[in-house]
Amino acid sequence: MDGSLLRPRWRKVLRDLWLHKARTFLVVLAIAIGIAGAGSVLDTWALLRRVTRDEFSGTNPASATIRTDAIDSALLAAVRAHPAVGEVAARRTVVGAVQARGSWRTAMLFATNDLSAVTIGKVQTEAGTWPPADGAIAIEKSSVDFAGVALGQSVTLQIGEAEPRALEVVGIARDAGLAPGWMEHIVYAFVTPATLAMLGAPSDLNQLQFTVRDRSLEWEAVRRIAYEVKALVERTGRRVADVDVPEPGAHIHAGQINSLLLAKGAFGLLALLLSGFLVVNLISAMLTGQVREIGVMKALGARSGQLAAMYLALALLLGFVACLVALPVAALVGRAYAGFIAEILNFDTTGFSIPTWAFALQVAVGLLLPVAAASIPVIRGCRIPVSEALRDFGIAGQDHESDTGWLSRLGGVTRPLLLSLRNAFRKRQRMALTLITLAMGGAVYLGSLNLRTSIQRSVSYLFGDILRYDISIRLTRPMAPDSIERAIQGVAGVGAVEGWSSTRTAVSHADSTLGNAFPLVGQPAGSKLVAFPLVEGRWLTEGSRRDIVVSDRMLKEEPQLRLGSAVTLIVSGRPTIWTIVGVARTGVQPGAYTTRAALAEALGNGSVALVTVRAADRDPSSHGALSRRIRGELEAKGVEIASSQLMEESRSVLEDHLLTVAQTLTVMSQLMILVGGLGLASTMSLAVLERTREIGVMRAIGARHGAIHTMVQAEGLVIALASWLVALPLSVPMSVLVGKAFGRVMLPVPTHIVPGGGGVLQWLLVVVGVSVVASAWPAIRATRVPVARALSYE
Amino acid sequence: MNPSPLISLSHVSKSFSGAGGVFTALADVSLTIDRGQFAVVVGQSGSGKSTLLGLLAGIDRPSEGEVLVGGTAVHQLPERAMSAWRGRAVGIVFQFFQLLPTLTAVENVMLPMDFCDAWPAAERRPRAMALLERLGVADQAVKLPSTLSGGQQQRVAIARALANQPAVLLADEPTGNLDSRTSESIFELFAKLVEEGQTVVMVTHERGAMRYASQSITLADGRVVA
Repeated sequence: MDGSLLRPRWRKVLRDLWLHKARTFLVVLAIAIGIAGAGSVLDTWALLRRVTRDEFSGTNPASATIRTDAIDSALLAAVRAHPAVGEVAARRTVVGAVQARGSWRTAMLFATNDLSAVTIGKVQTEAGTWPPADGAIAIEKSSVDFAGVALGQSVTLQIGEAEPRALEVVGIARDAGLAPGWMEHIVYAFVTPATLAMLGAPSDLNQLQFTVRDRSLEWEAVRRIAYEVKALVERTGRRVADVDVPEPGAHIHAGQINSLLLAKGAFGLLALLLSGFLVVNLISAMLTGQVREIGVMKALGARSGQLAAMYLALALLLGFVACLVALPVAALVGRAYAGFIAEILNFDTTGFSIPTWAFALQVAVGLLLPVAAASIPVIRGCRIPVSEALRDFGIAGQDHESDTGWLSRLGGVTRPLLLSLRNAFRKRQRMALTLITLAMGGAVYLGSLNLRTSIQRSVSYLFGDILRYDISIRLTRPMAPDSIERAIQGVAGVGAVEGWSSTRTAVSHADSTLGNAFPLVGQPAGSKLVAFPLVEGRWLTEGSRRDIVVSDRMLKEEPQLRLGSAVTLIVSGRPTIWTIVGVARTGVQPGAYTTRAALAEALGNGSVALVTVRAADRDPSSHGALSRRIRGELEAKGVEIASSQLMEESRSVLEDHLLTVAQTLTVMSQLMILVGGLGLASTMSLAVLERTREIGVMRAIGARHGAIHTMVQAEGLVIALASWLVALPLSVPMSVLVGKAFGRVMLPVPTHIVPGGGGVLQWLLVVVGVSVVASAWPAIRATRVPVARALSYE
Repeated sequence: MNPSPLISLSHVSKSFSGAGGVFTALADVSLTIDRGQFAVVVGQSGSGKSTLLGLLAGIDRPSEGEVLVGGTAVHQLPERAMSAWRGRAVGIVFQFFQLLPTLTAVENVMLPMDFCDAWPAAERRPRAMALLERLGVADQAVKLPSTLSGGQQQRVAIARALANQPAVLLADEPTGNLDSRTSESIFELFAKLVEEGQTVVMVTHERGAMRYASQSITLADGRVVA
């Protein structure tokens, strides 16, 4: 390092860094971990934001969809002529069943006249051929695994009562505007209208999609245009079943992505903050070791500002080196994590890059964090009067900051342990920062364990206490509830059976417009197979007539609705008035529930298409066999089944995905514990460095290597155990925070706030392990210092 | 008319407060040192020698009295201006040399010029080399202090003290860490500098230094006794 172009003071900065390589390495590592942790979340968020926005807008999503009767080119032309309407398209969506992996699953087929020229809700070809020819099918990518099929294989499809038909899978396509099929438990597929006709389904197009010319319009404005188009459609003599106006430009999961990444971002920032603590500790120690040199430089004419600039530049340099390490790591992790989430949400990050501003922000934070962390110790250090700095006895002489006399009064403590305890409390500020860093990591770790427990309990609660059935069966033809229930009840192993009816409905507003469509489900009044938790009001009773219980999500979509208020719902095209008697927590989708009898009266038809079954044997492994027995029995009776679903399968899919999210939190906590461990390692290294003379004296009076080693390890352990203890109460608010954030993002989970015995023990083992590892090298170094050198150390 | 003295202390006292109460290091000290003098301050430990030097260097401030160096009222200088003044007006030589361990000898000499911008950047290295040459350690220029002997380190420290051509060189026990032969050579060096016109104020325990002094100041219990 010749540095002949540099002024001596900058050469000093560089050589000081080089001289204290281990300390420099620790600071760089600490900053790098903080930047990499927060940066990876930022990169994930920035990349996903770009991907979801560009990919979703690239599909040219419909501004509104109107369900009506046979759409022809004349109607399309009439709608296209509306001045506010941009593009117009028509399609048909048919719900059927697909046989996959030996069982029937719900299928949703999209058909349009010319699949090769789709303008709204464009799909991308992932594999095979596009568009599928008549008699062939293309599966949506997110449904492929769920359907259990591959390109070139055949799938059996059945629509309504028609004969099942085998179709060849000729293509795999991706529709970024759809919620993932595996998540929705639906096999999405694309066919031609001719294929629909072959399957026995009506092939005329019944969904009118259009985009508005001005894409910047708010939801209200788009809705007004949609109702103008609805009026236009009705003037042609067609009946409009419902009008759906999604939030303009927002993907169905945009809110969830943002909440998820915001929650993770908060922990990333926390890791960054904790690494800032470590930098404060290390820079403070570095300055403490340089007090005399600061005094000399001042005596030579250096001004406080010049010295502060030197040490802040040193911090800036550390930040720069940390950025060089952290940015690629953050980009790599961020891209991988974004890819993972994108896969879940049916996006593809290939071809997209992390925006430059994300890198710029990380560099800015990476450079400023160490400077900000160093500023207080630097300013304090550089303001020391010259006389005081020159009188500095070295770092060992400054132990007056902590009064540890109370430790001497502790009974039953051996002298070496007392020394370790006293040493741990000698530098209170440093100890506090190290302890807080480790304890925060521990609190998040315990929080993540609690969240895991909460998720498992919630899923158990959802699939045990709320959804009390084990098998759901969708019938091809709706049947009278009594006859289907009787037929299934006769199957050995069936505990309880309930047939549920349902229809799609929409709220009719005072201005004659309709809200977005949602399902209205009719259940037996005293249903024993479902028990949604009530937010307010009551559940349905036997005598309930035109009473409904709505989901809490419904109140968010239709904020004018209140408990006890009357609401007009369009059922079978007719306005019907209902009273809201309860609000229940039923999940993320809006919906409403009434009695089977009330819905039958409103529909003029009491038949049911969905049957729920509770097995007598509570062992989930027996439910597959029961499902097969029920199918056999129903087929023998001539009842056609569209699809059947084991709730245990749904449960494990849901639990796996929720736990994946919790797992990322655990990783974040491990990152924080790592920062805490580095903090402890640096604290112990500094403690040994500062007490070299003391250690020399102890060795001179007979302390063996083992005793010195044990003393250093014990000191580290004291800090580690204190942080273990502090983390326990700290984990309570952390668990509440994590639980609430998770609830907003994924599923409201009853927060499990008190750490379990297993978790507390795990955290103890982790923190003891961290302490042993972090103190190992300082302890070895303490035993390696020659006595003569230790005693001459200044 | 006599020219005004380079250094003038008038009724200077300095007290320190500590756990043991108030300790008076200097009590009502008045003295003057003319330009070009080799003033040697002697006295026993605790007599106030180093405190006196600290006041002259602006490292400490008097509790009472006035300290004038080269016409500057050092006791009145604000802290911000003090460093800049000190860098240009005085050169300090410490007992333990206090060379910065990560800088080479020549870089240590260049450092005060760097802080005070006293010389154009291009002239600093040649000047530092010239000073090292003058002090007989030019061949050690690119070595780190840890590789130099005590005498060599002190010569580098003296070169550093002279870097900004200060009006006065203040040396605090410059031979306290050296053997007698090396100490002698340092005294000779100071005498030579004085011959060349440099004013030197040196605090020492060593009575032998008195033979080089043009002015001697003896302190006892914080007072000038001779």
